[in-house]
Amino acid sequence: MRNIAYIAINVVKDAARRKIFYVVFLFGLAVVALSPLLPTFEMGARAQFLRDVSLSLTALFGVVLAVILSVGQIPGEIDRRTIYNVLSKPVSRLQYMAGKYLGVIAALAGILAVMGLEVLVLIYVRLGVFTPVVFQGVFAVFLESAVIAAFCLALSTFATVPVNVFATVLFYLVCHVKTGFLHEKLVEGATGFVRVFSWSLYYVIPNLENFNVSLQVGYGGGVPATQMLRITAYALMFIAIFLIIGYLVFRRRDL
Amino acid sequence: MTENAISLRNISKSYRTGLRRKRKTAVEDLSLEVRAGEIFGLLGPNGAGKTTTIKVLLGIVFPEGGSGSLLGEPLGGRAAHDRLGFLPEQPYFYGFLTAEKGLELYGKFFGLDRASLRQRSGELLDLVGLSAGNHLTLDKYSKGMLQRFGIAQALLNDPELVVMDEPSSGLDPVGQKEVRDILVHLKELGKTIFLSSHQLSEVENICDSVTIVNRGRSVKEGNLSDLLAARGLTRITLKGGGPDAAERLGQVSPQVSRQGEETLLDVEGVRVFQALEAAKDLGMELVSVKPYQQSLEELFLETIRETSA
Repeated sequence: MRNIAYIAINVVKDAARRKIFYVVFLFGLAVVALSPLLPTFEMGARAQFLRDVSLSLTALFGVVLAVILSVGQIPGEIDRRTIYNVLSKPVSRLQYMAGKYLGVIAALAGILAVMGLEVLVLIYVRLGVFTPVVFQGVFAVFLESAVIAAFCLALSTFATVPVNVFATVLFYLVCHVKTGFLHEKLVEGATGFVRVFSWSLYYVIPNLENFNVSLQVGYGGGVPATQMLRITAYALMFIAIFLIIGYLVFRRRDL
Repeated sequence: MTENAISLRNISKSYRTGLRRKRKTAVEDLSLEVRAGEIFGLLGPNGAGKTTTIKVLLGIVFPEGGSGSLLGEPLGGRAAHDRLGFLPEQPYFYGFLTAEKGLELYGKFFGLDRASLRQRSGELLDLVGLSAGNHLTLDKYSKGMLQRFGIAQALLNDPELVVMDEPSSGLDPVGQKEVRDILVHLKELGKTIFLSSHQLSEVENICDSVTIVNRGRSVKEGNLSDLLAARGLTRITLKGGGPDAAERLGQVSPQVSRQGEETLLDVEGVRVFQALEAAKDLGMELVSVKPYQQSLEELFLETIRETSA
């Protein structure tokens, strides 16, 4: 267990010095901060709209950061050969992979917490309203980013970085349209291959729309605790599935 | 401690390469044994399978055939790794760490507490000639400094077995000598050292036994002094004798050469007296009679030539 923590801490330290990470992070903060200046916002200035827009942008940057942080963790260490020295120590591949993942989500949690705080301060400064409910939305964004990071890390055990980025973006898009397009295909009674394919995708892949609570947070009413628990369990299930698949590939992979 | 620190039996490993994913053999039917407490050298030309052999030992790649043990534990497991030190070829470390932080990270994997880690790190940085308190990060280190750091991290856990892939790579002659001294000191402490090296003089100076690999196969192995004396020749060194001396001695043994003022004659043991008689008849002065030992370089080149044909 200690080895997992040491690897995770090392991932966070490594993340903290990456320039691209800061560029995306600062850009995300800037966009969140500038969102009240958007023309559409000016037309209907409401606290809920500000919460909604800020949270949606946070979600987008959360996913981008999840990909940036996780996509190169294992392939990068194999390319730089730093992995040899770690695995020659009494560190198992399971500990290594678990440490990598925990490090990624710890870094994500830190960044998203800062972005959430930014939204909170922004709303307070602009509208004089203190809305800690924003952190429910940020937590949902964190869960979604954690699922994406698990998918990306699992894929990185066998795919190259460009293939992984492409596949993860595709995965993200498909997981967001599944409630719309795929459900329509099923409900509308598609037949044959399209039906089987739609059905498989619909039930096998996660529905990332479950993590979209920006409207509920936007209206200021908050998200019921049962719903938060449900989406947490939902995220944990898919994170476990992806990491197990990734580990099964990684445990016997020649490095 | 087990009798054999390392035992590999009939290890085979191939990789798929190129667009057609054609199999390329890296190691084929390789067996070797490293006795506890010795310095063992794994030699071979580039691409001979040395690094793959080390990766198999460390569980970084998985063999397709064969079996083995590492410090008495089955190959591929992690049980022996807390008694193992490893220096990779051209060491790569986390560049954003300083030497002390790097040693702290690697040391933690062995369960060393903070106080013993600090003490051990200081000792090892002194041993390899890197000053503690140096705030340069590892990505600013020269190749030689990285190599020194690599040696330090390989010794953090006071290992029973140290596996070193090209330990002198990137070091100046002084550094190379220091590494040799460290390895000899480790042997005196009862450690086992597995060395893969292209520095044949280094191997010849410090190794007890060697295995030469070529094209993934073990082509020569054994105790180094036995291998170098294996031809059973005696070298007679003579002086004087006139310009035709070498030609006349050639009738006793074809292996005659000149080295400055001296004539060197390599003869089989049974013909030593005959050669000495001939030299006496030629009026030559005897300088020395010694069992002839090949240099490791000669043995290596000869072995590779024979097995590459």
